[in-house]
Amino acid sequence: MSASIEYYCPCLAASPHPPPPHLASSSYSFHPLHNLYFCEECDAVRCNRCVLVEVSGYFCPNCLFEVPSASVRAEKNRCARNCFNCPICRNTLSVVASDPEGNEGRMSPIVSNTLGEPPFFLFCNNCRWDSAEIGITFEKPTGLAAQLQKFEDSAPDALEFEHLKEHFEPYLRASSSALPTTTAHSHHHVNPITAAASSALARDVPGVGKYNPLTRSRVGRDKNAGKQEIPDYNSRVEIGTLGALGAGGGDSDVEFMRRLEDMAEVAALEQRWVNSWTASLRSSDLKPLRIPLQVKKSKRCPACRHILIKPEQKSQSTRYKIKLVAANYLPAIHVSLPHAIAAMELMKRSPSLNKSLSSVVDDPSVTGLMPGKTYAFHLAFTNPLYDPIQVRLKKVQPKPMVNTDEDHDKPRRVPFQVSLPTAAIGIAAFAEAWEYEDDEEDMFGLEEDDLDMDAHGGTGKDGRGKTRTVGVIERRANTTVISGEVILTKEARGNVRFNMLVSYTYRSDDPEPPEENEDGTPSRSHAAPKAPEMKNFSFYTVVDLGPVVRREESRSEYDA
Amino acid sequence: MNTPIYYQRGEYIETDTGNKVSRRAAISGPQNIILGGKTIISSNAIIRGDLRRTGPGHAVVISLGRYCLVGEGCIMRPPYKTYRGVFNYYPMKIGDNVHIGANSIVEAATIGNYVEIGKNCIIGKFVIIKDCAKIADDTIIPPNTVVPALTLFAGNPGQIVEDLPETMQEMVEAQTKQYYTRFQPYPN
Ligand SMILES: [Zn+2]
Ligand SMILES: [Zn+2]
Ligand SMILES: [Zn+2]
Ligand SMILES: [Zn+2]
Repeated sequence: MSASIEYYCPCLAASPHPPPPHLASSSYSFHPLHNLYFCEECDAVRCNRCVLVEVSGYFCPNCLFEVPSASVRAEKNRCARNCFNCPICRNTLSVVASDPEGNEGRMSPIVSNTLGEPPFFLFCNNCRWDSAEIGITFEKPTGLAAQLQKFEDSAPDALEFEHLKEHFEPYLRASSSALPTTTAHSHHHVNPITAAASSALARDVPGVGKYNPLTRSRVGRDKNAGKQEIPDYNSRVEIGTLGALGAGGGDSDVEFMRRLEDMAEVAALEQRWVNSWTASLRSSDLKPLRIPLQVKKSKRCPACRHILIKPEQKSQSTRYKIKLVAANYLPAIHVSLPHAIAAMELMKRSPSLNKSLSSVVDDPSVTGLMPGKTYAFHLAFTNPLYDPIQVRLKKVQPKPMVNTDEDHDKPRRVPFQVSLPTAAIGIAAFAEAWEYEDDEEDMFGLEEDDLDMDAHGGTGKDGRGKTRTVGVIERRANTTVISGEVILTKEARGNVRFNMLVSYTYRSDDPEPPEENEDGTPSRSHAAPKAPEMKNFSFYTVVDLGPVVRREESRSEYDA
Repeated sequence: MNTPIYYQRGEYIETDTGNKVSRRAAISGPQNIILGGKTIISSNAIIRGDLRRTGPGHAVVISLGRYCLVGEGCIMRPPYKTYRGVFNYYPMKIGDNVHIGANSIVEAATIGNYVEIGKNCIIGKFVIIKDCAKIADDTIIPPNTVVPALTLFAGNPGQIVEDLPETMQEMVEAQTKQYYTRFQPYPN
């Protein structure tokens, strides 16, 4: 289905109001509800762009070994066990023996790794690359990573990097005390890792801070500290001799290309760019890669630093010690277009079309919107709280489309009009075991919101001769479905997207957060002794009703 | 969100525990297959419970948990290998709330809980897929690959694309349960 809704995180904007949805850049500010966090301390939505991320553990994605952070640095962020990626296709390599059983294994790639006779080598069961081709074999099938890391660490680029580090180490030690260690507070839109890296760069390499907006002011302050003299660095390797070391470049590449018989002899950029230096062009020079480690992440609120996400230690556990996600605070909203559902139902019922159902779902001429027509859309609100809530909706009217890239000639009318229910919408509380059919009574006793007619909605007829209604159309368990309406102008095109402000009032249990309420039943009775404090929370969304379908016949119909 | 997914009443057999198995699915060796309940085996799926380990007695070849879906045209086949010169099949174990898209071929050793596998995938022999992982449509996972928890794999060969949200378990649980509720006979 093409209709969708996303929720706004204001972290990228200076104002609390969202950017207009017709701007392509607005998509960076909107997220699916399930990707958002909620800080109780700040009473605010947070997203993956603004939270502070910390590493809470390292593991190998292949052997799933949890690597202690002490070894991560020495092992250069890669698995030190028997886990390697194919340098050609990035599949995981197997360790293969060279005796007959090993060869049998190469035909059907599944063999037991630790049997058989030396030499052993690494084999890719996806692209059939093997390490013997490039002269890498092993006497024992164990401890391969240590042997490979020895090669890695003795490569000229690794040695040069070590040399650089040694050169700057004394300066680093001397200046680390003089400079503050974090800049995360000074610029809250910046990811702390980026900030830390920038500040490290500014700290480690004199002169860089001057060009870095993050650290500029501070470097000015610390001018004297930055003035410390460091001797010139002399590289281990002359730049001109790199070609001779197999790092590529120069005449040898020309010669290689001249004799090229097969494209596969040239390593693709993707296969080469894990290297820190310009690497050889030849795919025959590619080495097996120790598998990069993955991390489990903790996340913090960027404003108050409270923890929003804290995973369990075990690498493959999917549980969390702390998990403050927006889906447990904000109502979930599901958008649907009844006309599209009806069209699809019709298709499903005719048996001849049964097979091509999936193609029908994606066919915009069936589910799309036509210019000049009026459509109903449904918004289903589901309440995650253990108390009933009341929701109010406010549309942010789309601006006239002017001076977009494609047409800058004529000013355009507002492409569509949206009508939403104006009265409060009651949504029943979430309960662990909702008994369906048992939800006839309205928790809040709200009557006025059932089918209120919007100003220009009235009881007119739309193109299909159905009564137009804007209001509540269904209640079941902790879900309330409302209907809205969109009137497209004849000029409408692109996607029908509009911003919607959702405000809801809920019973506040301060200092306890609402969902820690032990009582699973709707809480009117236990709230009776003292009047519950009602709180309000608002958030912006962007509703996308899908593309406007422009068809030749529809245009001529209007022209006539 | 709650629109029914209809099937012709006679097409599916419903078991006591709520499993729905298409009459048009090819189930070989049903005595070696375990379905956890409320699991759907769609039409034209092929499940090879007959490919069992050699030796006497009863053996579970393929087990699926609760709220699973084996999509239309899927092939589920236990993995095999030759170990010390002896050819053998090995069991395939699939957890709860696992959806497998249409026309995918699965020869995995284990698949955890809350896993989504897309359409037209090939999941190679002895692949291990951990909890809350997701395999995008048209992905090829070569034999012996390990897919860690909460990661999205895509491509050929399948590789880590991104981490999945912390809410993956709740989302997949809700979606798989909802799918089972929506999957109902066409009312006549
Ligand atoms: Zn944000
Ligand atoms: Zn590993
Ligand atoms: Zn390969
Ligand atoms: Zn906060």
